[in-house]
Amino acid sequence: MFRAIVWMQWKSTRALSLLTTIIAFALPLASLQLGRSAASASGFVAAMQAFGAAYALLAALVGLLVALGAWRPDHSGRHVYALSLPVPRSRYAMFRFGAGLLFLVPTIAALLVGALLVSVSPIPEGLHAFPVALTLRFALASLVAYAIFFAIASSTNRTAGLIIAIFAGIIFSQYLLAVFADGERTVDVLGAVLDFVFVRPGILSVFAGRWMLIDA
Amino acid sequence: MTLAIETKDLRYRAGRSFEVSQLDMHVPRKSVYGFLGPNGSGKTTTMRLLLGLLRAHGGRITVLGEEMPESHTSVLVKTGYVPERPHVYPSLTVSEAIAFHRAFYPTWDQQWADDLQRQFTLEADRRISTLSKGESGKLLMLLALAQRPELLVLDEPTDGLDPVVRRDILAAVLEYVTDCEATVLISSHLVHELERICDWVGVMDKGRLVAEMPMQDFKSGMKRLRVSDAPVAVASAPFTVLSRERGNGTVEHWLVRGWAPPMQGYFESVGASLREVVDLDLEEGFVEMLRASRERES
Repeated sequence: MFRAIVWMQWKSTRALSLLTTIIAFALPLASLQLGRSAASASGFVAAMQAFGAAYALLAALVGLLVALGAWRPDHSGRHVYALSLPVPRSRYAMFRFGAGLLFLVPTIAALLVGALLVSVSPIPEGLHAFPVALTLRFALASLVAYAIFFAIASSTNRTAGLIIAIFAGIIFSQYLLAVFADGERTVDVLGAVLDFVFVRPGILSVFAGRWMLIDA
Repeated sequence: MTLAIETKDLRYRAGRSFEVSQLDMHVPRKSVYGFLGPNGSGKTTTMRLLLGLLRAHGGRITVLGEEMPESHTSVLVKTGYVPERPHVYPSLTVSEAIAFHRAFYPTWDQQWADDLQRQFTLEADRRISTLSKGESGKLLMLLALAQRPELLVLDEPTDGLDPVVRRDILAAVLEYVTDCEATVLISSHLVHELERICDWVGVMDKGRLVAEMPMQDFKSGMKRLRVSDAPVAVASAPFTVLSRERGNGTVEHWLVRGWAPPMQGYFESVGASLREVVDLDLEEGFVEMLRASRERES
């Protein structure tokens, strides 16, 4: 059963998986290229730092695409086929989740290979490469993103819409507070929410902070 | 009589306007049970409830001797389901869909699947999204049959298909039922189609099962009677009066169920006289039954 689901999911995910794998391989090499154009070691580190957000974004993107790919075939048939199969729903969802995990691997592996290639290239004296640490962090971040998007994607359109509406509501209420409150007593709702999810031990804290392939 | 499907006081509500209520259904084992009803009467919903695809709001469902939806895994492995609309993944080819489906059914008969694929002239490399309605219908039937189910649940499997495809599909079902003594629950609003293949019939209207009986009784026991000097009350009649309509003068038209010729004596005993007994074909019977049921309700 699991093999059948992996294969099925591969059909709906392979093009996007290939794309993210190529990007993951190219990102470290592109950051090295930019770093080499810098005149000093600090310029090199700044170039690396500029690419940090790209790793975080790629991890989120991979998680999103694989999660959407996991449920797309079932959503298109309104889950009738999946529900009519003789397998417990929890196990079916676990199979779908597990198959998606497999499709995170090529992107993570491509990032590791790219990062390892960068780490064996000449870099300014006093700087160190952290290819394994960066890859592990990327793997964890993509896993977190995948798990969250998988849960959202598995739900009905109404539930997914509700979650998006809650986030939109937070942003909108922050906007209203900023417009109508006087400057000194503005309540930072959005900041509080972002702190809650991104600042350790927030659920998305793995995305926050510096993503450095090469650092002092 | 052992039952393949039994429901007791089954209830389900979707939105404000639609509900299945107080549904007591009995599908005998090894029977071909025709599930009749107009569009929107609740046939598809009932089938989905029976298979655990929807969760009932009340009542009890037993399928193949097991409680649903608690035992849905063990029931579904013995059940072939053809839904109203094609449900298999459209990005797959025919052979891929078969391979995917096969992985879930330990009783899968690949030899028979190959035979059916040839018989239905389904090309292995065609994508499902490019199949015609008839080809999709054949593929769904292949998937349902090749798993060698004890129970086939077919939700309007021939709806919108041309007569040739319809005949192919029904022939495959009948062949399987004859060989394997499986139970079939088949819904349709094509009354004549069911008349040929079913031995039991259930009639659904507005979420209620308004009648359930052997097909033979349905065909032979439904009559329109022309009665003169009809009594006001018919409580003691040996048949069921579904509706009464005034005709000319003292004549009334009665739609009755469970009629047999020896019952003529009833009319003399109540001072009435029976002028005429009109046979109804299945479609007329079905329509009259629905009309009578709606009149009673209103």
